[in-house]
Amino acid sequence: MRFQYVLSEITTGLRRNLTMTIALVIVVAISIAMLGAGLLIRSQAETTKGYWYDRIEISVFMCNEYSTGAGCADGAVTDAQRDTIRQTLESHPEVDEVFYENQEQAFARFSEQFDDSDIGGIITPDQLPESFRVALQDPEQYDGVVSAVAGLPGVQEVTDQRQLLEPLFRTLDGFQLVAFAITVIQIVAAVLLIGNTIRLAAFNRRRETGIMRLVGASNFYIQLPFILEAAIAGLLGSVLGVIALFGGVELIVGRFIAPNLQFTSWVDSADVWAATPWLLVAGVLFSMLASFVTLRRYLRV
Amino acid sequence: MILFDNVSKLYPTQNQAALESLSLEIEKGEFVFLVGPSGSGKSTFLRLTLREDKPTSGRIRVAGKDLHRLSNWKVPHLRRRIGTVFQDFRLLPNKTVFENIAFALQVIGKPRRQINRDVPAVLELVGLDGKEDRLPDQLSGGEQQRVAVARAFVNRPLILLADEPTGNLDPGTSVGIMKLLDRINRTGTTVVMATHDQSIVDQMRKRVIELEHGKLVRDQSRGVYGYTR
Ligand SMILES: Nc1ncnc2c1ncn2[C@@H]1O[C@H](COP(=O)(O)OP(=O)(O)O)[C@@H](O)[C@H]1O
Ligand SMILES: [Mg+2]
Repeated sequence: MRFQYVLSEITTGLRRNLTMTIALVIVVAISIAMLGAGLLIRSQAETTKGYWYDRIEISVFMCNEYSTGAGCADGAVTDAQRDTIRQTLESHPEVDEVFYENQEQAFARFSEQFDDSDIGGIITPDQLPESFRVALQDPEQYDGVVSAVAGLPGVQEVTDQRQLLEPLFRTLDGFQLVAFAITVIQIVAAVLLIGNTIRLAAFNRRRETGIMRLVGASNFYIQLPFILEAAIAGLLGSVLGVIALFGGVELIVGRFIAPNLQFTSWVDSADVWAATPWLLVAGVLFSMLASFVTLRRYLRV
Repeated sequence: MILFDNVSKLYPTQNQAALESLSLEIEKGEFVFLVGPSGSGKSTFLRLTLREDKPTSGRIRVAGKDLHRLSNWKVPHLRRRIGTVFQDFRLLPNKTVFENIAFALQVIGKPRRQINRDVPAVLELVGLDGKEDRLPDQLSGGEQQRVAVARAFVNRPLILLADEPTGNLDPGTSVGIMKLLDRINRTGTTVVMATHDQSIVDQMRKRVIELEHGKLVRDQSRGVYGYTR
């Protein structure tokens, strides 16, 4: 392999198609930045879900003497009813642990929450419900547990925190979907642009490649300068994309989101570093593959 | 060296065959003229020999290889054993004479040492020593064609194919190119030359293969161009 020849072919090729090369670098940069953003949002969603799943529990509130509603027709929950509820929960396969909180404990927690206000003064323990706090084996599987106890006599209400968090998770999933949709569109644009650039380059060099074919240069040798050209443009684009990603994470997450929303841990530049090698490899391989496929059509033996 | 066995070629867009049931054999070391009016299939014959295209039917053997069974990735190796010269020279305009010839060796991966040895030798053979640093447009047509011949021959091919190599040259210059091809033939290289040039064919008295509408109409050793047209 004559290295000097290949090298000079690449540089002249890149210069000759400067505008196309720049366009290609930009599109690859955007694709890689979006792909990276998609991956970060995905890992953010996982982290956030993990963080909240550890804390998710179901609360089964039981009737007190003031309760109304179908389950509370008999007034306050009886000892027998409470035992049935406890047994139902403890024997359920999805239930990990069950804690009992009586009216006094509920009042203590309530007073603590509203320490400074006057509300503590007008509420008495007997106005609050006693409850079971249930930790789940798998936080995704709350439906079964809820329906198992919801209709039991003595149960006033069953709430699960999963319902409260659902909108947050849906938003994260939505972001992820949008990021991947943009990635896909960008990748399609990148393929078309790489195809066009390589086709133009092949056309510009048809004299050389024609002679090369004639004197028996191997396909590999004929295609190598084009593929390396695409690889270099791909590498440049990926590096720019990764830099943009670092900037984005630093600005949007580091300066804006993380300091203000502290209910979970946020992605940071360490996560970008972890993704960097993959993004670079993806950008380069992808560009090479796209050019290789184009060349198979435009530089035949 | 070149064997066509009942070869036909029909281009997809054409309804008349470019070559029709052509059978002929060219032995190693022969000098053969391929004559016939324009459109009679001469270039098609050369393209099939180079495996630039495949025949619609029939078998072709070149340099001991059955082209039908030759896989795509082996085609370059076949072409390294065949030199090719065209009417329009096909030189690279921004490379010097030396670089144009060196290019043919570079792209098949020959080492620099061999290039520095073989290029001056072939330049001397074609009578262009001293002009290695000229660009193609600083040369006459005859000299440009000599560069093209040097490029085709520098790798010492078994076969030299020439498609109307004198088509763009005046008669005097053409004689020079013919002498050069004759000299190359004497080194043992098989030469096949497609031409329109009646006087050249008549002077050389070599084997003449005449095509008409893709059919072989004459195959004559020590022949002349034939009927005046
Ligand atoms: N690439 C092609 N596609 C379609 N028809 C072609 C092609 N090349 C040659 N032909 C046709 O094949 C016939 C033979 O052409 P060619 O071999 O070039 O003849 P010659 O070299 O003797 O002038 C002509 O009718 C020509 O129009
Ligand atoms: Mg022709």
